[in-house]
Amino acid sequence: MSTGKLLIGLTHHFLLSLKLNFRSMQAIVYGYLVPVFFLLAFGSVFRGEIPLLYHQMGQLLTISILGGACFGLPTALVAERERGVWRRYRLLPAPTGGLVASTLLSRLVIVGSAAVLQILLARLVYHTPLPQHLGQIFVAFLFVGFAFLGLGLLVAALANDVPAVQALGQCLFLPMIMIGGVGVPLAVLPVWAQHIAAFMPGRYAVDLLQRCFTDPHGLRGAGFSLLALIVIGAAAGCAGLKLFRWDSSRRVNRSTMIWVGFALLAWVAIGLAATATGRLDPVLPDAIAYETITDEQINRITYEGLPGDDELATRLSPPFKNNEVPERAREFALKLKTWPQGRVEDPGQAVRNLLSIAAIADVGADLREAEIGRVVFDELQDRYGRDQLCQLLAWVILRPDDGSVITFIPDLRLRRNLSETVVRQRCALYAKKYLGRLLHKLPD
Amino acid sequence: MSPTAPTRVSVCNLAKRYGPIEAVRDVSFELVPGEIFGLLGQNGAGKTTTIECLLGLRRPDSGSLSIGGIDVLADPVRARQCVGAQLQSAALQDKITPQEALRLYASFYNKPADTNNLLAQFGLTGKAHDPFDSLSGGQKQRLFLALALLNNPEVLILDEPTAGLDPQSRRGLHQIITSLRTAGRTVLLSTHNLEEASMLCDRIGILHEGRLIANATPAELIAQARAHPRVSFRTTQPLGATQVAALPVVTNHAPQGSGWQIATTDVNRTVSGLVRLMEATGNEMLDLQIQRPTLEDVFIELTGQAWAQTSTEETA
Repeated sequence: MSTGKLLIGLTHHFLLSLKLNFRSMQAIVYGYLVPVFFLLAFGSVFRGEIPLLYHQMGQLLTISILGGACFGLPTALVAERERGVWRRYRLLPAPTGGLVASTLLSRLVIVGSAAVLQILLARLVYHTPLPQHLGQIFVAFLFVGFAFLGLGLLVAALANDVPAVQALGQCLFLPMIMIGGVGVPLAVLPVWAQHIAAFMPGRYAVDLLQRCFTDPHGLRGAGFSLLALIVIGAAAGCAGLKLFRWDSSRRVNRSTMIWVGFALLAWVAIGLAATATGRLDPVLPDAIAYETITDEQINRITYEGLPGDDELATRLSPPFKNNEVPERAREFALKLKTWPQGRVEDPGQAVRNLLSIAAIADVGADLREAEIGRVVFDELQDRYGRDQLCQLLAWVILRPDDGSVITFIPDLRLRRNLSETVVRQRCALYAKKYLGRLLHKLPD
Repeated sequence: MSPTAPTRVSVCNLAKRYGPIEAVRDVSFELVPGEIFGLLGQNGAGKTTTIECLLGLRRPDSGSLSIGGIDVLADPVRARQCVGAQLQSAALQDKITPQEALRLYASFYNKPADTNNLLAQFGLTGKAHDPFDSLSGGQKQRLFLALALLNNPEVLILDEPTAGLDPQSRRGLHQIITSLRTAGRTVLLSTHNLEEASMLCDRIGILHEGRLIANATPAELIAQARAHPRVSFRTTQPLGATQVAALPVVTNHAPQGSGWQIATTDVNRTVSGLVRLMEATGNEMLDLQIQRPTLEDVFIELTGQAWAQTSTEETA
């Protein structure tokens, strides 16, 4: 058969594979509805981000491609093999590798269309900006798709039946989602998990795709991530093609493990190369400077549902009248002026530290909690101009997880050691109460 | 087989093992144009393995195979260009339609047959746009036959094409297979249906435990059989065993229902003797049947085993 004829046949196979995919309800649910579900889930989880989902699009797209490759591709391949479809294909005067390649290509298009759907829906629903580098995101997608489809092919070759695809697919999917920097942002992971993530392709996939959204330089400087995906994808693809079974009666044997080892060796090699080239330095959360907070963002903040000033949480005294400042409050205010953590160079961090005092007093049910809340507000107003303080407080509200908070302040006789999460929540609530008063949106 | 006819399929000293199991041992046969060759054997006899090796789907441990003069082992893809095949336990995607399937498979062949003509020839025009999973068993088998004929092959290999079909669908497929011979095609038909093999095949090879233990026309095989013709009969007044044993050239006799079944070396003489006995004793014949030796008798003689009429799929 001529090469031209073979290409015509394979193109026909490619197009028909796409058509058949759209006739399967299961394929549509897994291929399109699940990615949309992930989009909405991410939109809910990262609702504090501005612009919404802009910094999570790399993760989101990686999850879709990973799902399509680790589950969609092998499930379809193994189901067809179990039915005997590949036995019939084998009778064609075409190499099996060609038919596998056209199957992979059709899967790439399916996964790509799901990714485009996510990008457009994110734009429509959450006003997420489009990628800065549209051409480059296509290149990044090809690299990510290559790596993950290679892994999917290996899963298909190893799995004896469809339930085995689920088991093997989860072995790839879950670690990458949980500690591979795909589902949980790398910056939030502990350092040990970040080190493990360097051995997994998910980290590099997120890096490439995210760069195309937010990095002004795009893929420039992303050589290592590109290389990592090529190496991992090529090793898995070679092993998958070598072990590919067109007949379900052929079972995996011991020599199979050599090829699986070969595919995993690529992961190890990439991880070691990342270590050797200093790419395992911990990634810290991106701190957005309070100066970048705009008036529009400040004005969009709402104040519904805040606890009252006399209620159990976030108690706040009314303003002290002249010369009627209680003695203990005056003493506390004096200490506050010289409290070292309140004097740190970064105003954003200084405000967060001062808010931590109000938060700890409140959660720890200190007898002075309401007064301390007021003293902290007065101190903030003494220190910063109104506009700057509005920006600082808005930053704490909009970026509750940025910077650090203090959970234990014995030098101010706030000895209750609290969880960081609780302190951050209270800091944001107090910041809202203060900001509302500064903007006259809350009575004082 | 005519000694001057060109060989279209050649299997020479084929051997294939699966671990400790010798699935096929030193199997050799040849097929000529316009011949239907039946590969007969019970489950596990090695029929499917032989066919899969011939199609280049499995690599034999030893032996040589050629189709249309092309060495299957050296160039399996080219060999598949000139052979049509229908395999056991092969299937299509649930949602593919017969027309789509035919067009897809046709796109890989150099000179494909017209897909609409094939749909019409196999009575599938009305089902051309229906999904595969909605077709009946007979329609599916006809579609697989149509797929096997897409490349206008000189050689057709059919592995248990009528397995699991109802009698009506089976008869329809038999007609199609017979028409292939008329069109000058060579057909290798694997079956474990003795009646089917006897009716369709010009020549039959019997595989047993991986060995080809017979290779001849059905008539030759039956003629070689040591089993004698059997005559079964019933009379109005029952005959005694002595009377039956005394009939001419009877080699064996046994009661059968209310009558007898006897084996004879010469049916004419035995039946004449029986008629004379009826006339002499004033008895009357109610029923008379003559059974010649069958392929089943041949099989039992060759293998020492009874023929198991099962339709489960062969895997080795």
